[in-house]
Amino acid sequence: MNKQVKVWALVVAMTAFVAGPARAAEDAALLKDMTSVIALLGLPCGKAVSAVKKGENDHIVTCQDGNRYRVYLNPEGRVVAEKQ
Amino acid sequence: MFLLVAGCAGVERAPPASSAPAPETAATEPSKPAPADAAAARTEPPAAGLPAKPAAEPSGKKPGATPAPAKKATPPPLDLTALETRLKETKAIGVFTKITLKNQVDDLLEQFRAYYQGRAKTTLAELRRPYDGLVLKVLSLLQDGDPELARAIVASREAIWGILADPNKFATL
Repeated sequence: MNKQVKVWALVVAMTAFVAGPARAAEDAALLKDMTSVIALLGLPCGKAVSAVKKGENDHIVTCQDGNRYRVYLNPEGRVVAEKQ
Repeated sequence: MFLLVAGCAGVERAPPASSAPAPETAATEPSKPAPADAAAARTEPPAAGLPAKPAAEPSGKKPGATPAPAKKATPPPLDLTALETRLKETKAIGVFTKITLKNQVDDLLEQFRAYYQGRAKTTLAELRRPYDGLVLKVLSLLQDGDPELARAIVASREAIWGILADPNKFATL
């Protein structure tokens, strides 16, 4: 039992070790995407520093300059950024 | 940007760089290679004479270098469909950014449609400004992550405008 717990703990630790960098890369890509979108829409932001997923294709983005936007895909297929 | 083009030229030959540097100028003349040619010349002394010349010239000078220049001497002009396809496939920009660009391209096309149908009071010259603005936005997003596509877009900029500005060609889109 003790050995099984240790093995599982090792598996979890290794998964986190591998998944961590991969997730960080995805987060960085998402932030870059959000930064570009907000810039394309002509809104002030500077750089997106966090993006919290609200739903499918729906994020709350916090910018370096303090602005917050809801960036989402509307039913017409348009990307919209609403200031929060 | 110069370094990237020079790096590519270092692998393939200087003459290809003569067609590459269009992004730097973001100009209406794709055959204007001087700035990056100078950069390429710095890194490619053996072919220093060639980079300073227009793209057409190198092909007649060095038979051994002909295959390489022929590959990248003149990128074929893109049409809007091909541009859209490559933009969809590029990894340089994210999904939301691609959709936003598509939205803006569609908006621009709608402006042209309205102009040709007489629904808009704009002139063709006035439509050039949003077109140039959109092209610059795309280039700014691609220049680091997908410089090849950026170069191709710069090289095709006038060809694409030619399609948009011609009512017969525009109708075929």
